[in-house]
Formats: sequence, structure tokens, C-alpha cells
Amino acid sequence: MTDAFLNRRDLLLSLSGVTAFAALPFPAAAQVRARLVVIGGGFGGATAARFLKRAMPSASVTLIEPNADYYACPFSNLVIAGMRDLSKQRFGYDALKAEGIDIVPDAAVDVDPVARTVSVKSGDTLPYDKLVLSPGIDFRWGAIEGYDKAAADLMPHAWKAGPQTVLLRKQLEAMEDGGLVVISVPPAPFRCPPGPYERASLIAHYLKTHKPKSRLLILDAQDKFSKQPLFEQAWSDLYPDVIERYGANEFGRVVSVAPASGILSTEFEDIRADVANVIPPQQAGAIAHKAGVADMTGWCPIDPLSFSSTLQPDIHVIGDATIASPMPKSAFSANLQAKLCALQITAILSGQAPEPTTLTNTCYSYLSDDTAVSITGVYTNADGTLQSVPGSGGLSPLMAEDIIRHNEALQARTWFHTITGQTFG
Amino acid sequence: MLKPSVKLTAFALFTLLVSACESAPAGTQTEDASGEVADLSAPAILALSCSGCHGPQGGAIASLEGRTSDQIRLSLLHYKSDVDGGSVMHRMMRGYTEADIDAISTYLAESVTE
Repeated sequence: MTDAFLNRRDLLLSLSGVTAFAALPFPAAAQVRARLVVIGGGFGGATAARFLKRAMPSASVTLIEPNADYYACPFSNLVIAGMRDLSKQRFGYDALKAEGIDIVPDAAVDVDPVARTVSVKSGDTLPYDKLVLSPGIDFRWGAIEGYDKAAADLMPHAWKAGPQTVLLRKQLEAMEDGGLVVISVPPAPFRCPPGPYERASLIAHYLKTHKPKSRLLILDAQDKFSKQPLFEQAWSDLYPDVIERYGANEFGRVVSVAPASGILSTEFEDIRADVANVIPPQQAGAIAHKAGVADMTGWCPIDPLSFSSTLQPDIHVIGDATIASPMPKSAFSANLQAKLCALQITAILSGQAPEPTTLTNTCYSYLSDDTAVSITGVYTNADGTLQSVPGSGGLSPLMAEDIIRHNEALQARTWFHTITGQTFG
Repeated sequence: MLKPSVKLTAFALFTLLVSACESAPAGTQTEDASGEVADLSAPAILALSCSGCHGPQGGAIASLEGRTSDQIRLSLLHYKSDVDGGSVMHRMMRGYTEADIDAISTYLAESVTE
């Protein structure tokens, strides 16, 4: 008891501008004038900023995000397949500003975890008491020989939504009937594990509908993949002559590309694509490495109780950049981790120790324009790691009437509306 | 074989974080100038998962506004015990204990405002 109080007192005193708390039975987090900085305005960072501000209204909450608009990755495969306009993927930060969050429209370029400061591109330095990093992913340019930033103009990755999404869409539109589309899938871990296969399904739907002589080939660095039985069933039922896949054990891994000639090379053969979508190998966003919160894997180890970095005190990491398996790198996970992290930072600043809880994830994937399947996970963070709760979670039923698939497509739309509203709306 | 899902699951989440002082146990909350508290109780944290999908607008994923704790609890227990069910809620509730479900139901019924 006494220790807890002393810890609380030390913590509070270590913060800047702490107002009187001694008279209160419990410190009022709202009165802690902590300087809270969030880097990255995606599903993780924007949510974290909001929940920090709501939990601690008197704290200063600053969100560092260089882009004025955020383009959501979930549902962007529908844009690529011509079923949705990119404008529906665009979100901004006006609602966050209106809640009193300071938006710094700049790029974080360095973090000094000892001085507890963030440097931004313009040269400014921002001090923090607690830092939340939600940097998302960066690509490991060059991990596939020949695939660098310039190559992405010819062979789009479309794995960060926006102009790349449109570029891949335009290439598909321009392709003549009878062409070959190739999707190169990286080794795990990567953002959105079922995403490449949803993309294949939706592009196949476009090809079948508009360019029926065309084919789609998946060159995969993985043997097994997310929602595999459901996707394979759908491909067999809906796109039997369109989609073919080579897994890693069938020499599916792409090792080099020649963007100007459209060639993708595996260890077995060279394949010439009319449209090549190269999803590159990935790692945590660059600022995570600068901050010293990424380990040798390129990703960020965390304590799952509060998503605090195990490498740097006073820095929390959420979203795709984390090592949070079995939680996948999804918008749902990032949003939930952000909410949990924000409340646990509030608890920590109030002198309370974070308690274990149960977390979930749900990801929907479209199979066609109006059918979808889902995967669900339930996790506990009670034993120092994230672990799936036995007997829970799993996939949509394999044998299901059409109405089930239609309903999950409708649920997916409601989910998108809800989660983007909670994050940006 | 597959039963229609029970439309009884939705929580207006933006209201979850801030709730009335009186209902939360001491030591799990922080008070702001307006007298509202940030609820850091175990049920509040447990219920964070719900708001990723369940918004006040309803739709294919229903809103829970106006539901009693008994209504929520019975629905969640149904999902947990219905071995044939394949919906997202069925798969999810199998990972929660009855005590978790009690806590979530009580919390949501009290915290979701109209």
C-alpha cells in the first residue's frame, strides 16, 4: 500500500506541471498536466489520442502526423476492384482538433528516450512524459531484389492506401482481356494477414466480370495463410479458372523483379505479368527504430498489459508495429490496443498498476462484391504474453448458406462505419 | 443448421469511457473538473473490445442502447452456450467466462446512454 502510494507520488512528481493531488484520496488524472505525445494518425494513433484526451482532459495531447488526410486500408481492396470510390477511404483530423488534441502536421524524425523528446522534420522538438508510437509499417525496400521505391511506380504495392491504390486500379483497367495479374505475397508477419487473398478474390471478381479471359496468379512466400479454407472454397466455387496460387513449397516466393519488363522471378522460373502487385516484406515504421523500441526482428516487443515498450520506459507502442501475435496486424487490433493503452496510461499516471484483461479481434474479408467471411480471436494478456483463449475464436463456417456470407458482408460495412467513426468521426 | 443471430449487441462506445461517479468503485476512476470520471474499472476495460464494431447507429451490427443488463447477459450467454452457432459473436463469447459476461452486461447497461 505504502509502496504503491510512493510510486504514485514519484510518478506524478516526475511529470511536468502536476497540480495538487495530495488532498484527494486518488489522484485526479484530469488534473495531471502530463504531456502526452502520439506519433502516427492511423487507426491506432488517432484512437489513442482521443481516448487519452477523454480520460485526462487537462493533459496536453499532441498527435504528430504529416498527412492532412488518412486513407484507410480496410475496404481499399474494393477500390482496387472498382467497387468503391477512394474518397470513401479518406478521413481527416478535424474532429480530433475539436476535442482539444493538438495536431502537429509534421513528420517525427527522431526520438530521444532519455531526454524524452520527439524531433520533427521542421526542426522543432516536443517534450513528452508519455509517448505512444503507432507508426504502422515500413517496407523493406530491396528485400526483393529490384523492388525499391521507384519500382513501386511500375509494380504498385497498394499496401498503404491512397495513390498506390489508384495506380493498381488504373493498371487493372488498362490491362487487355487475356492478361495475367500477379500478386506477390511476403513472408509473415505483415499488415493484414488475409488482405492479399481478399485482394485476389476481388480482382478475380473484376476479371471474371469484365475481362473473362484473364488470369490471376498468387506467388506466395507463405505455405499456409489466413482464412485459407474459406478463400480456397470461394476460389473453387466462384473463380475456378481465374485464380492459381503457388505457395512457398511450390517455389512461390518472389526473389527478384524487373519492373520495366514486368518480370517476377522465383527460385524456379521467371514470370511476365501484365499487372504486377508486389506486396513487399515489412517491418515496423522507421520512427520505431529511431526510438529504440524495435528489436532485431524489425518489430516492437511490448508488455501486453499496457503495450509499453519492453525496451524503452515511457514509450508505448501499438498497432501493426508491435509484436502482439496471435493478435494480427489489423485496424481492429490497433484500435483496441489504442483504447487499452490510453486507459492503462491513465491508470499508471494515477498510480494504479495495469490489470490483465481479455482482448479480441475480428477481421472481415470480402470474397466477392457482396459476400464476405470473418476471422475472430479472443486473447488474454494475463501471463506476460498475448495468448489465444482455448476453444474460442475461429473462422466463419465452411459450409454456409449464401445468406451467411451476405450477412457478414453487411456486418463488414457496419464495422467499417463504426470503427472509422470512433477513430476519426 | 445455422440459427439467425440474436440482434442484441451494441454499445455506444463514446459514452463508455465517461460515466457517472456514483456507480464506479473507488480507486478505479479519475475525476475531472466537471465531476465526471474516466472509468478504469475492470469491466470498463473488458468492454473496450465491444466498441470496435457496435456503434450507436445500429445496422447489420445492432446498437445496444436502451438494453437492460439482463437482456445483454442472456444474449451473450446464448452465444456462449449455443454450440452450433458460427457467428462472430458465437466465436467470441466462447472465450469469455460467465463472470466476464456478467461484468460486461452490468457495465454496458449502466454506461450506454440514450
